[in-house]
Amino acid sequence: MKLWKKILIFLSVMGPGIITANIDNDASGITTYSVAGARFGYSLLWTLIPTTIALVVIQEMVGRMGVVTGKGLSDLIRENYGVKTTFFMMLGLLIANFGNTVADFAGWAASMQILGLSKYIMVPLGAITIWILVTKGSYRFVEVILLYACIIFVGYIISGIMAKPDWSAVARQTFIPKIRWSSEYIMMSIAIIGTTITPWMQFYLQSSIAEKGIPKEHYRASRLDVVIGCSITDIISFFIIVTCGALLFPYGIRVNEASEAALALKPLAGDYASLIFAISLANASLLGAIIVPLATAYYICEAMGWEAGVNKSFNDAPQFMWIYTLTIALGSLLVLIPGAPLVFLMVLSAVVNGLLLPFVLVCAVFLVNSEKLMGEYVNSRFYNYISWGTVVAVVCLTTAWVITSVI
Amino acid sequence: MPFFGDLFVSEILKKPVLDPKGEELGRVRDLVLVKGEPFPKVSALIIEKKKKLFNLRWSDLSIFNKRIISAKLFDESLHSYEFRETDLLIVRDIFDKQIVDANGIKVVRVNDVKLEGFDSEAILIAVDVGMRGIMRRLGFERGGEDVMRIFRKRLPYNLISWNYLQPLEPKLTKISLTVPRQMVSELHPADIAEIISQVSQKDGASFFKGLDLETAAEALSELQPDIQAALITGMDTDKAADILEEMPPDEAADVLSDLPMDKAKELLERIEKEEAEDIQELLSHEEDTAGGLMTNEFIAYPPDISVREAIEKFRKDAEEVEIVYYIYVTDEKERLIGVVSLRELLLADFDSKLSAVMEIKVKTVTPETDEMDVGEIVSKYNLVALPVVDAEGALLGIVTVDDILDRILPPAAKRKRRRV
Repeated sequence: MKLWKKILIFLSVMGPGIITANIDNDASGITTYSVAGARFGYSLLWTLIPTTIALVVIQEMVGRMGVVTGKGLSDLIRENYGVKTTFFMMLGLLIANFGNTVADFAGWAASMQILGLSKYIMVPLGAITIWILVTKGSYRFVEVILLYACIIFVGYIISGIMAKPDWSAVARQTFIPKIRWSSEYIMMSIAIIGTTITPWMQFYLQSSIAEKGIPKEHYRASRLDVVIGCSITDIISFFIIVTCGALLFPYGIRVNEASEAALALKPLAGDYASLIFAISLANASLLGAIIVPLATAYYICEAMGWEAGVNKSFNDAPQFMWIYTLTIALGSLLVLIPGAPLVFLMVLSAVVNGLLLPFVLVCAVFLVNSEKLMGEYVNSRFYNYISWGTVVAVVCLTTAWVITSVI
Repeated sequence: MPFFGDLFVSEILKKPVLDPKGEELGRVRDLVLVKGEPFPKVSALIIEKKKKLFNLRWSDLSIFNKRIISAKLFDESLHSYEFRETDLLIVRDIFDKQIVDANGIKVVRVNDVKLEGFDSEAILIAVDVGMRGIMRRLGFERGGEDVMRIFRKRLPYNLISWNYLQPLEPKLTKISLTVPRQMVSELHPADIAEIISQVSQKDGASFFKGLDLETAAEALSELQPDIQAALITGMDTDKAADILEEMPPDEAADVLSDLPMDKAKELLERIEKEEAEDIQELLSHEEDTAGGLMTNEFIAYPPDISVREAIEKFRKDAEEVEIVYYIYVTDEKERLIGVVSLRELLLADFDSKLSAVMEIKVKTVTPETDEMDVGEIVSKYNLVALPVVDAEGALLGIVTVDDILDRILPPAAKRKRRRV
């Protein structure tokens, strides 16, 4: 095949992998990377390489299922594992994603405060805008906004470069792991994997590939899209860690939140770096707050067989509209109530995510090996070793993460 | 074996099946369905004991209800069973699958299956697609009822009769009877299109293949371009060409323009020559212009024929044409010189010439006119169709109001399938 034809095919299937990857770096992800960079400098950078590999292995399988079966992961789980498994998985997804939504609104509130805007105005405004945009706006309009919003993530790369890190040290610590055996260090490295590989992404990626209706013949191009997407996710993570590692770590400034990192950058790197950091956080948070509730409502309704669709009314698609609306309404409200148990909710969400992930991944590997569904596209034996190895490793690490975040 | 009353399949799953002495033969794992009149019927139970599967024929059962299931035979005479793709099993093939509700015109998911006794057979009478079915599967049906009672409401049954269902799986399609098939072709093509756009492409394609030519052609033009392309490329070329031939040329051209060049060429070669030429001509225009919207099916007569002749001719010609509200009057060089609406034609004196009754100030556009401008002209002058002419004034085609509406207010199935 000629090169230009290959490029053309790639352009036509491109999207799902890259968009998924960008949404993966939501408020809680950015927080984790900022904290990691500020606390441990560049010394956690190496964890991004195994994380990327694990992400690619898992997302590739899920993406392949999307291309071959043309169905979403929640559909496949429902059709192959019955109502009980699906119900509890969806319940878990609902709780975990509610936590994610709250985290996103909290990130939005914090970044707005850095920009000098009151959260009591901006959070309700953001929530209402999102709701109207999705339910009343046209799909194409939302899609265009999403694609442009992805570009803002470049802001992190710019702020990373502006931080003028010592690139040789960065390179050394990225490729030569030097593990420190302190509990905090280990916990942080596990948290990086836990926040990068989440259950809902697998559902999101598979549905958006299935929705796009990519033909089997173009599967290779779609795989490239997934691999590029995974790499982009971790390149962004890399630059966030580098920024915080270069600027905050030498001064021993500890941060607990992404917004604190943005504030702390101000005296050290100047207004622009801080501003870029804050705007990128606002963007990531808002993007997450658009996608996560919507995606959750879709998977649950599709798996349970309820009507779903953004242009449907409360009468036509009650479950869908209520799940979507309540997630946004309660999520934004919780951020505004002083003394609301936000931390508890984040921990709960992390725990449920961690508990859910093993089931989702194991289901995914079984499904991808089902010849009835996948035909000749099942895993090869060699690839099965890799995927089971990855799944087991990820499951062990997230379980450890869950245990440590509870204690 | 007599079976009275009705039951839900989930109520008997994992229930023990007893032999005449009351010993357990195994537990219900699945039920085999076969074709029956007027509904599919149960031909056997699949039971499981110590990880082994056995096939228990319906005729070997002595009691079958939701409390007791017993057989006439002992475990030494049981036949072992292995899952086969060709069998149709309720739990494996119907539970949790998507199915089309032809009555409510939507895609639903099967939560449970209801069996009913009929002539000593157990027949599949309906599927449960509601909350109650989910609760029953989860074992919460009682609890759910109690909760709803607090709100003074009852948990509604949401059953759909097998009559109204159109399965998506080819295997299930075989067993369903002629009744639902008719139901589907009676649906409006726009509704069929919406169903196709809601399910996965594979299911959509198998559903589409089951439609007759005319319905398929009409449904296809209501779909979004990339689904159209996928459906057409997925079929064998001859049938695809037949469907395209059935469509009005402007819509066939729209479908072809989204296909890869060589595929479109291959299809065009198999379409009847005259029709293919019409389509090819339309393909040369930009999509969002009058040329891209227009169809070259219209009715045009010379000015010197009488109204009577025109009506007679019209009765023959109009059969082939998608939408007719106007008769255009053209000279020998095909230049548009006037227009007569059907109303004016019918009210006119039958002996007068067309040139005498026609309106000569005709609003026209050129093929390059932007679709929004076309819409504005149609709206301003309250037209049902707008003629498209070339630089010399020769009539090339007409843009009908339904095509403009489709561009301004696309129907659900033509919008992007979704969302996130």
